[in-house]
Amino acid sequence: MTRTIRIDPVTRIEGHAKVFLELDEDGEIASAGLVVNELRGFERILVGMAAEQMPLVTARICGVCPTAHHLAATDALEHAAGVTPPPAAKLLRELMYMGHLIHSHTLSLFVLQGPDLIMGLDADPAVRNIVGVVQANPDAAKKALRCRSLGQKINELVGGRGTHPVTSVAGGITFELDDSRHKMLSGWADETLALLSELVPLAKGLLLQQIELHPALMADWIVPAWSLGTVKDGRISMLDGPLRAVDEAGNTRLEFPAEAYDGHLEESVIEWSYMKQVHIKDGDRHHEYRVGPMARINVGGTYGTPLADAELATLRELGGQPCHAVVLQTYSRLIELLYAAERAQEILRDPALGGPTRVPVQFTGGRGVGHVEAPRGTLIHDYEIDDQGLVRSANLIVATQQNYASINRVIAQAAASHVLGKADDAALLNAVEFGIRCFDPCLSCATHALGEMPMEIAITRDTQVVRRITRAD
Amino acid sequence: MTLATAASTLVCCIGNDLVADDGVACRVFERLQALELPGSPRVEQVGVGGLDLLELLTGAEGSLVVVDAVQFGAPPGTVHCLDWQDLPAARGMAVSAHAIGLRETVEVGKVVCPDKLPSRIVLVGIEGRRFDELGGAMTPETAAAVDTAARRVRDLLFTFEQEAEVDE
Repeated sequence: MTRTIRIDPVTRIEGHAKVFLELDEDGEIASAGLVVNELRGFERILVGMAAEQMPLVTARICGVCPTAHHLAATDALEHAAGVTPPPAAKLLRELMYMGHLIHSHTLSLFVLQGPDLIMGLDADPAVRNIVGVVQANPDAAKKALRCRSLGQKINELVGGRGTHPVTSVAGGITFELDDSRHKMLSGWADETLALLSELVPLAKGLLLQQIELHPALMADWIVPAWSLGTVKDGRISMLDGPLRAVDEAGNTRLEFPAEAYDGHLEESVIEWSYMKQVHIKDGDRHHEYRVGPMARINVGGTYGTPLADAELATLRELGGQPCHAVVLQTYSRLIELLYAAERAQEILRDPALGGPTRVPVQFTGGRGVGHVEAPRGTLIHDYEIDDQGLVRSANLIVATQQNYASINRVIAQAAASHVLGKADDAALLNAVEFGIRCFDPCLSCATHALGEMPMEIAITRDTQVVRRITRAD
Repeated sequence: MTLATAASTLVCCIGNDLVADDGVACRVFERLQALELPGSPRVEQVGVGGLDLLELLTGAEGSLVVVDAVQFGAPPGTVHCLDWQDLPAARGMAVSAHAIGLRETVEVGKVVCPDKLPSRIVLVGIEGRRFDELGGAMTPETAAAVDTAARRVRDLLFTFEQEAEVDE
């Protein structure tokens, strides 16, 4: 008999990222998964709020990707009101977003992948962490942190405020860029690209070295799935364009505007988790799919900037197209960092940046769907707005939800090769953590002062927990 | 005023007021606005901690007080006051980039920006219980500790001021 345990609501807040592995009668993995938090409560609190509040309120969902929510919300409102923002506003939003992408991807690479790359996948977890990385290579660490600050400075100057941006509104952007700010932004974009020209080859070299040391990374850590991303005029796009889905072999299977998402993406509740998972619906079949940098590369053509596209060609030689190697998601993030810095420079050279930035907007009732490619993948905001301009219902689809099925499959694969017939807990933890990290999932970001929640793996059999594994043991 | 007292204090409240007990430091931030605080500290509020804390430092701060929700295993509403060295070290590797602990942040800061680090870094941590409900209400015990935590911050600032005077 195979049964999966339910997570008891009382025990779910012990401060552990929980992974469970359910074994069947023969001791084989029957199911596996990461237990994550819910978002539904948030959709409920949006109901009754004024529509124009959405870009401000949704930016506060998460301290890590506020700009993605800020812009997805603005896009949804503009669709609801039926307005098109002026070209200068679109460019300023994109510039703000490039800053955000630099900030977010640098953090992921530095905090999540840095320890594996610099210390080595086999290093003792006691040193294979951010402090170990900084002590081992202070110069690169300083440059990476500077790069991250520069991304944040660009994001803040255009976004108008620290953590939570405020300048993007339905109809455009609340200010016009003056010369002094333009000059400052250009300086920051140039400095970012100069730093990346040192950091990207370094990170890439370390990544290739780990791949050489661990052939299993390219042999066993392969998770074929459909990919979803945004394309515009044959290019990978972050803020504008239809969604495209390709299958495991890279064939384009669907292309649809974001407002048609609910006809193609199907949310479903899982018994053991608070997060709904999402599948692509194609006729009467449901397909697991991924979003994020690698998925964008799998659906799209090129980025359209020289340095990013040169690296993209190398990635495709290494991992194929489409690429399903979990470890190469790190490489795809490096490519997007280059793209973000190059694109920021391009935008700053565009004369259209100087034009008017706002058109008037009135909400007369109706539905609006907006989307962006958040650093971790496609983010969709869907609002129903009444004739008073109040939100009547809201639905949000976030990246981690869409990657959830793949994350759980990676956990099952990692566990199958480390649990069965072995009792090496450290190797199991390493493998499971590594698999999850490659997706950079959004988990609870509570209890900041204590850092990331330590992970707990519960192995269950016939509804009974037979073992619990944590680092502390 | 001497140079010793001129060294400013930064009080940094970390939290997301949309997420149940994670919002407790946001409430403390509001309370601090209403209190008369010794030494006129700079009081800031941020969404997530970690490396962003280093960005807030100018190099002029003599002390940093971090106010945050914690899970040390004490009853909800317990207010802890700890030097950064006394915080438990993170045991394993992060699986999400969302947060790096205060202790790790300080250790990173010691390498990348030693000149900016204040000599004294203290955590005022409020024990919470409910952290996974976006839009959820704060646990009553945690909510009840907001005043206590704000007063602890004020008392700390008072101690800093007195010590600075003794140093004169």
